[in-house]
Amino acid sequence: MTALRELTRTSLLCRDYVSDKLTDKEICQHLRAVRVLCVSDLENLSSSSGQTALTTLVSLVSRMGMQVALSIPEVEMIGPQPPLTTGPLRATLFAMSESLIPGASVQGDIGFQPDIVFVLGDTEFDRTQLFWRLNGDAWAGSLQMGEIESRPWRSDWTVGSMISAALAANEAFKFAVRGLPLRDQGNDVFFEPSRACGFDFGEITLSQEIVDLGRVDVISAGAITQSALYALLRFPSVRMSGRIFDDDITADSNMNRNMLSVRADIGTAKAQLVADICADRFQFQAIRSRFTGTGTEIGDLASRVLIGVDDIPSRWQVQRRSSGWLAVGGTSHFSISSSDHSSASPCCGCLHPVDDLAGGNPIPTISFVSFWAGLATAVRLLREGVGQPYGPSQQHLWLTPLRLDQPHAAMWLPVVAVSNCPVSCPASRRLR
Amino acid sequence: MNDTVEQEKEQKEKDQKKFKVEIVYNGVTKPLEVELEQSITAVLQHAIALFGITQNPHLLSLFRQDGSQVPETENVERAGLKPGEVLLLRPNAVKGGGALSLAANIMASSFQTFQNCGQGECECAVFWTGPAGDDVVDGVEHPIHRRSPYGYDVESGWITELWKNLAATKRSVKAQVHTHPGEAFHSATDDHWPIISQAGFISIVIPDFASGRPSLDRAWVGRLTADGRWDHVESVQEAVLIQ
Repeated sequence: MTALRELTRTSLLCRDYVSDKLTDKEICQHLRAVRVLCVSDLENLSSSSGQTALTTLVSLVSRMGMQVALSIPEVEMIGPQPPLTTGPLRATLFAMSESLIPGASVQGDIGFQPDIVFVLGDTEFDRTQLFWRLNGDAWAGSLQMGEIESRPWRSDWTVGSMISAALAANEAFKFAVRGLPLRDQGNDVFFEPSRACGFDFGEITLSQEIVDLGRVDVISAGAITQSALYALLRFPSVRMSGRIFDDDITADSNMNRNMLSVRADIGTAKAQLVADICADRFQFQAIRSRFTGTGTEIGDLASRVLIGVDDIPSRWQVQRRSSGWLAVGGTSHFSISSSDHSSASPCCGCLHPVDDLAGGNPIPTISFVSFWAGLATAVRLLREGVGQPYGPSQQHLWLTPLRLDQPHAAMWLPVVAVSNCPVSCPASRRLR
Repeated sequence: MNDTVEQEKEQKEKDQKKFKVEIVYNGVTKPLEVELEQSITAVLQHAIALFGITQNPHLLSLFRQDGSQVPETENVERAGLKPGEVLLLRPNAVKGGGALSLAANIMASSFQTFQNCGQGECECAVFWTGPAGDDVVDGVEHPIHRRSPYGYDVESGWITELWKNLAATKRSVKAQVHTHPGEAFHSATDDHWPIISQAGFISIVIPDFASGRPSLDRAWVGRLTADGRWDHVESVQEAVLIQ
């Protein structure tokens, strides 16, 4: 059980910086040797946000092949945490052991010697060992090293908790890389621990009543859209319907980042898998074909579209076919790009006007980076759905989670119309 | 003494032309000293070196906080970089796969060649050329070729000379352009025998022996992929920008 296939994209990403002398097997073994302890008391697990922080952290860390131990009380799940089955939280997380990556266990804390410790909210923890606290509220999340003043997780909304989980997973990854020889020691700056970091998507005024996002077409059932839907499924009041396009089959190499998939899903069609797992709340028709935009049989696209495809010309094609609003999420090594585009604003062709000819090669990916891309996309859809979209100055987010303690690690940017827009969108035509 | 004063004055003037900008890569910010007369290409190279980037550095460009790309054809002064300005170093996909920028006369010149050579009854071909390492087309090469209404065959000796000339002048072939009698499409011969078999290479087919006005409106435009297929581009702007 080397998990080489499952972690192939993760080790490929590590190769951006680790020594060329290391084999994939050595990189995987190193990741799998990292032991992460998650600690929480009952109060911090008595809210949707607290439970989501824990389940998301366990999933993100496990998808890097690491060993997880839980020092938590047993508690009933407040709401569904797909792809987990519903039931007692602790037992359900233990049942998740090795269900994502072979050998990535989830176990109790007795006899467990952690390398790194994460503590939820204001849970008491008096170890001498260094640890990070996951803090935050509905829409903002943070991570702080050591003892600081904290509050318990109480919010019903879960974006902040998912941010803090992604920040924690990032620290676990950096801990792993710090134990590996780098190709260039000058690059160790990217993997230094962050004593305190955070991110805020900005508050959304959301009532407890049903929020119907209407018809939404989802292009790709891969890592980014799975992360977006994972996030939206943690908003019990959100509803939507539409179609999800993907011709791909779930593979073992997807386990490192496809947040709605478990190893038992390998071999199943991604579109159907996602449609099925969302079925209680989101009515998606699975279209088991690649969206090319050329067939007439697909009809018009929905007024809202989520795009999670890596292929840049495919994004252009969707933009050409769309007459409404669309959001695009993507990753590039350790960075994410998230943008949204209405018919009046510069389009995704303006943002990425040239194709990536290397796009057909295996893309280096890792759980928490793909998750950030999906989470940012989900927030954009939520904002659009409730009439609180980001303004033009926040049309594009470029975020690199490695060092979110640094001042420009996340940059909100406008999208500038360009004359060479391949979509030839109205904003670009005005320049000609 | 005068020499020393002069040198100090020169150094002072030189220093006044220098300032620092902030380069952001992978979330980390580092200062980089630039000079007003320095090309943005050089700034980009220094930024890449500053972070020791070895993985696909050719994909990277500099972006301002207003979302615009810092133009790589300018120098620091003309690009308007300011002291302390924050520049994001991020991928701009593969630049080699970007659109070709055509100098103003290229289209008209190509069509004139097609019409003079083909006389509305034979296929004809030209090769668009430009400076190596750039996406600019500023030259048209008309090969010695056999012609017929159904094809063209470029003389091999002419191609050998073309390569020599291009190497000597640090230029390269950017695209092949040829005419068809009727509809524009890429034939099996076109698929298999491009003058350059490199991913990103562009091929253009002009319909009706290029008898119409100089335009790519009805042209077939395709790009060679890494696995040897030709991707028909949806809109001409994906591959060619006419100045």
